[in-house]
Amino acid sequence: MEVLKDAKLIVKDLYKNFDGKDILKHISFAVKEGEFLSVLGPSGCGKTTLLRILIGLEKQDDGEILLDAQDISHLKPSERGMGIIFQNYALFPNMSVLENVEYALKLRADLKQNSRKIALSTLEAIGMLDQIDKRPSQLSGGQQQRVAIARTLALNPKIILLDEPISALDVSMREVMKKELKDIQKKFNSTMIFITHEQEEAFYLSDRIMVMSEGNIEQIDTPRNIYEHPANDYIKDFVIAHLDSKLASLCVCTGKNVYEK
Amino acid sequence: MFMKNRGFRAGKLLVLIFLCFSVLLPLFTLFFHIDGEDISKVIHSPQFAPMLINSLITTTLATIFSVSLAFALAWFMNRTNLRYRSIFTVLFTLPMLIPSISHGMGLVLLFGDNGLISNLLHMKFYLYGYNGIILGSILYSFPVAFLMLCDTFQYEDYTTYEAATVLGLSKKQQFLTITLPNVKGPLISVIFSVFTMIFTDYGVPLVVGGKSMTLPVYMYREVIGLLDFSKGAIIGILLLIPAFIAFIIDFKNDNKGNSSTVTRNYVITPNRKRDRIAYIICIATVVFISLPIITFAILSFVKQYPTDMSFSLDNVVQAFDLGVRMYLKNALAIALLTSILGVCLTYFTAFITARSHHSFSNMALHLISMISLAIPGVVLGLSYVLFYKGSLLYGGLSILVLVNITHFFANPYLLAYNSLQQFHSNLEDISATMGISKLRMLKDVYIPCTQATIIEMFSYIFVNCMVTISAVSFLANFRNMPLSLLIPQFDSQSLIEATAFISIVILSVNLVMKLIIYLLKRSLQKEK
Repeated sequence: MEVLKDAKLIVKDLYKNFDGKDILKHISFAVKEGEFLSVLGPSGCGKTTLLRILIGLEKQDDGEILLDAQDISHLKPSERGMGIIFQNYALFPNMSVLENVEYALKLRADLKQNSRKIALSTLEAIGMLDQIDKRPSQLSGGQQQRVAIARTLALNPKIILLDEPISALDVSMREVMKKELKDIQKKFNSTMIFITHEQEEAFYLSDRIMVMSEGNIEQIDTPRNIYEHPANDYIKDFVIAHLDSKLASLCVCTGKNVYEK
Repeated sequence: MFMKNRGFRAGKLLVLIFLCFSVLLPLFTLFFHIDGEDISKVIHSPQFAPMLINSLITTTLATIFSVSLAFALAWFMNRTNLRYRSIFTVLFTLPMLIPSISHGMGLVLLFGDNGLISNLLHMKFYLYGYNGIILGSILYSFPVAFLMLCDTFQYEDYTTYEAATVLGLSKKQQFLTITLPNVKGPLISVIFSVFTMIFTDYGVPLVVGGKSMTLPVYMYREVIGLLDFSKGAIIGILLLIPAFIAFIIDFKNDNKGNSSTVTRNYVITPNRKRDRIAYIICIATVVFISLPIITFAILSFVKQYPTDMSFSLDNVVQAFDLGVRMYLKNALAIALLTSILGVCLTYFTAFITARSHHSFSNMALHLISMISLAIPGVVLGLSYVLFYKGSLLYGGLSILVLVNITHFFANPYLLAYNSLQQFHSNLEDISATMGISKLRMLKDVYIPCTQATIIEMFSYIFVNCMVTISAVSFLANFRNMPLSLLIPQFDSQSLIEATAFISIVILSVNLVMKLIIYLLKRSLQKEK
């Protein structure tokens, strides 16, 4: 494994088996501080299981997870210092926007006293300050996702995991959220691991992309390197061919050569 | 997942222990109590075959009529342009608010030898026997079937009907090829629940059965009159059979997962002829239902039926002299305690099974929680007598509360289970990562989100406690008896007017409860 000097998270030899089927086949990788890493792969490739193991919602059968050089494998999800954002937002339906963000803060001894202040400043940073009294059911999908992000950011996690967070939104909203997500990451200098099956999303957002298939890592590199030097045929088919065909159809229908611009 | 949730685990253990002592152990005791010799004695006794035949014939016929009526009414409420449908719906469910035995009493007062209608028309109705049992059983059981079927009709998707109309299918063809297959599963459940309800009820046949003895009446007489528990247990096990078949069929039905989503609500086309027929049948049913209740009201406040029909409070005073106040207090105490404890227990159990990972213990818990659907009240009551006799609980209010919680466990449990399952499982994941315990989620998220369901559960248990005469009958004594059990007692002493008054009291209490529940639910909706 390529060992990064300034690695925030190191995953070593992670293995998981479900009902006799290998879901993760001894994979290893590392994530840098402030990095945006996308885990790209088709459904069933093991990416969601990987995410659930990282945060402690599932237990691995073998391997280590090191965060800031500490083994966190034995820790409860809430003790790992990570936050997670789901596709369906999972907001508390009976609480207002402010209460949603403030709720977990109030339960933390170290944050309890400043909970309101932290919640408000996070909501302000995310542009939701004018909606704080609304219930989740009164918000659009994009707004709900912003609240879910604020709720996680407020707890100041060392790493934020995102499980296909923009796939449930409609197409135009997805574009907006993609940009916003990138802005938020810059603003908070967060380390993010982003799960997706959409090639464009991964290429737009990521510092590096980890392409997975059937429990293996096929390639892990910057978007540019993956595009220019695909490691194998799988990457060529699943990633490059897909992007090229999108690009080609764009050229055909606009009559422009996008490459030249 | 390896979260520490000590409070939650302790709660789960307590629920398992509770269900062991309230369901499993008493039932085992019942089975072990049977004397082999008694089985052949009961089966070979000359009354057995006629009794079984009486039970089967009356139950089958009453089930057919009851479900047919309920089906028609439910269809009218959901597929016609009748006005005042909500009022009709409330009226159709009125019979659920009085004990089964009151329906028998009502028929006697109307069509008996000295009945209001018999006297008015100078006619003799052959009420006692099959006629009475069937008629009383219909009154007693159709509201349950009606509510279950209304639910089914409400969740039909209109787009299938639109597609059928485009394809040129007639209304009749649509009914046969879409409606019937859609309601088939629920209809089978309804038929079995109604059959079980009627098959195991002793209230109606005790009053109007005449010489036609049925199995539950025999069991009631053996246990209450002769204290022959072994014979009672044998009949009890016989009564378990249809309930158990119903339970298995229901369980299988559920597992098939008939979860059609409604993309478009049913659109009712105008049709005057159809609506007129619906009006006639609905109004006739309302008359049929309200006649006994009106009679109870009249009888409670006349001097001496049928000789002196002038207004008087004599019967009311007499009923209070005979202890109505004390037994009403008992009934209210039992109903309130059962509802409060029952809601807590069923809700928490549903929280465990609906909101945590599938595990063997959770599946066992789910199954035991539902099993009370398969235990007729009288059978449960008898098994409690056998298991708890001689214990500290026996003879007090607490045993009646316990048996009622168990008897009415499954329905509120399922209400809570279905409500709680609607939340996405990611809520647990989020709370685990944020360090929010399961019990905190229960208190801060799930309970506030499901208040309407909790109110519904409370109301279900309360009303059923007020009207039940089954599980409590073998366990009650003169001190702890609830009001409903005073009816068979007064009936055996021919205190007809007093029984009428008691039925009115029970109905009034339940109506007040229903009104409170309605207002509470409305204010909740407004808040939203």
